[in-house]
Amino acid sequence: MSRKQTKATPPAAARSRSAQAALPGSTLLRCMLLTQLTEERLVRLYHQGRISGGVYISRGQEAIGAATAAAGGPDDLYAPLIRDMSVHIGRGEPVLDIFRHCLGRVTGPMKGRDGNVHYGCLARGVYPMISHLGAMLPVVTGAVMARRRQGRPAVGFAYLGDGATSTGDFHEAVNFAAVFDVPVIFVIENNQFAYSTPITRQFRCRNLADRAVGYGIEGLAADGNEAVDLYRLVRGLVDQLRARPRPVLLVCDTMRMRGHGAHDDFSYVPRDLLERFTARDPLDLARARVIADGALTAAEVARLEQVCQAEVDAACQQALAEPPPDPATLTEGVYAAG
Amino acid sequence: MPLAETTLVEAINQGLRRLLRERPEVVLFGEDIGAFGGAFKATLGLQQEFGEARVFDTPICESAIFGAAIGMATQGLRPIVELQFVDFGMTAVHQLLNNAGTMHYRTGVAVPMTVRAPCGGGICGGPFHSEELEAFFCHMPGVKVVYPAFPADARALLVSAALDPNPVIFLENKYLYRHVKEWLPADWEPIPLGVAQVCRPGSDAVVLTYGAMVHEALRAAEQVEQEGAGTVMVLDLRTLKPLDADAVLAAVAATNRVLIVHEGWRTGGFGAELAALVAERAFHLLDAPVVRLTAPDVPVPFAPELERAYRPGADTIHAALLELLDY
Ligand SMILES: Cc1ncc(C[n+]2csc(CCOP(=O)(O)OP(=O)(O)O)c2C)c(N)n1
Ligand SMILES: [Mg+2]
Repeated sequence: MSRKQTKATPPAAARSRSAQAALPGSTLLRCMLLTQLTEERLVRLYHQGRISGGVYISRGQEAIGAATAAAGGPDDLYAPLIRDMSVHIGRGEPVLDIFRHCLGRVTGPMKGRDGNVHYGCLARGVYPMISHLGAMLPVVTGAVMARRRQGRPAVGFAYLGDGATSTGDFHEAVNFAAVFDVPVIFVIENNQFAYSTPITRQFRCRNLADRAVGYGIEGLAADGNEAVDLYRLVRGLVDQLRARPRPVLLVCDTMRMRGHGAHDDFSYVPRDLLERFTARDPLDLARARVIADGALTAAEVARLEQVCQAEVDAACQQALAEPPPDPATLTEGVYAAG
Repeated sequence: MPLAETTLVEAINQGLRRLLRERPEVVLFGEDIGAFGGAFKATLGLQQEFGEARVFDTPICESAIFGAAIGMATQGLRPIVELQFVDFGMTAVHQLLNNAGTMHYRTGVAVPMTVRAPCGGGICGGPFHSEELEAFFCHMPGVKVVYPAFPADARALLVSAALDPNPVIFLENKYLYRHVKEWLPADWEPIPLGVAQVCRPGSDAVVLTYGAMVHEALRAAEQVEQEGAGTVMVLDLRTLKPLDADAVLAAVAATNRVLIVHEGWRTGGFGAELAALVAERAFHLLDAPVVRLTAPDVPVPFAPELERAYRPGADTIHAALLELLDY
């Protein structure tokens, strides 16, 4: 029931090249690079007027989704939110489908019926979010309950921001999961802001992980910018929850390094705060880490970036060329047949 | 086959029992529905018979209840949740509107869940235990709304609602729970959703209604006929969404005078939808303007004297019919 502070402990394991190759560093880095490059391209498309609506990116928070997505097994269920493209990519969403989706193409996962951050793939266990903050938390809780009844050892990952912890649904879902011992990791991405509102206007507790005590569950506070360490922590946590099902609050400290959306100049964010987190950019940390761990050489990292960029470029070009939905299909599929 | 006298709430219990027996994927949950059997005893004995894994109590958390049901429904279960009173569903209606109602349209994944919701007045429940909210639910895309008036319909429609692959709001009128009884056989066939029923034939006017008002309308029609003022058809809609528009239009064609009755509020009420349907598609068949008899746009009052004035009843329906027939 206590709050634990995790530290960035470098692996004591052997440093041989083959042992390091088994570590997730390069997988995580690839996921984070694809996320960053895809989002960068989406922002460009938005400013070019080729994406309607809005674009909401996760710059600065890529490690959290990459680490938590990699930590889950095939039966696990995910409900990513607004800053979680790396969860989608980490759970197998092709970058091509993300472009299709954001461009409102009929070929996309939501067939143009929803846009921006609202996508997912239930066949892969990734729930498409709705906008209403907090609303997905009980859904993934119920979904995990159903899977476990069917004998599948599912663990759930439910994501939310610091702001969403103020909603009633957060309380209802965490308490519900606690009462029924549902193994859901509530991944709170404390990125210091909810749109323009700083966390001082969101809660009074020292750390959001302290709230766990009130639900009779465990709360963990972690560094959200160190992907490899976070992966290790969550990997261990998942094993524990499979052995003894129960929910956990996992509070990841991080920073939204851009505006709330591509439309927002985030002039309300203090520059010193940004600078503090710029020094701990999760992509820089991940690059340095894979090199330090011997998983990749600097040249291999550079090569990986090129490969990711090429994948993003190709996906974007293809999606741009694909068709929008046919207005004649507007009223189809509101109800399931049968 | 032997018949048993059955109240509406007993019929619902029978429907739930049958679903639990025949469909292993059905689970029931809500507040106080387990060993206690629910605030109105609709789930009496079910936890004892089917076990706590399939019939269980939850904390007081309507949004988590709906949300969990949505999650379960997308993973192969068929949840049936009980609201203690429909009034409390409004704390969580966003889950139905935004999560349940949009899921199939957005993803192609079905959400086979049912929300059972005791509703309506006539029991001195006051403003927060008497609401009649079908119009809110009918406004939501992707959601179906069922509202039985008779025990036989209740159990047969409940089975269809639960087996439907979509979210269904199943409204149960609290006043009718124990005020209406039928002699029913132990076996029954499901009734498809979206099919209205003529409860009483007539050729001079039709009352379009549902829920508790069906019974009030039947009494009023009986009296009108005894007085020799005309014969009045009563059409029980049974399902509000999808609406049996063909049955409504056929009733209008057969009678040419329309009285719409419901115990929910007037402005934006379901009667407005019915009146619009008649105006759009059967205007040429009308011999008189469509009349709506509804609750006024005021909170449901507590005192019996006030609630009687608030809620339509056989007497006010009778008066409205006489006026309509005299037009
Ligand atoms: C219930 C609800 N209220 C308001 C909004 C509008 N809104 C969208 S994102 C956002 C800020 C969210 O902040 P936080 O939860 O910290 O997530 P972050 O954007 O920082 O990742 C707001 C207010 C919403 N989507 N849902
Ligand atoms: Mg935030």
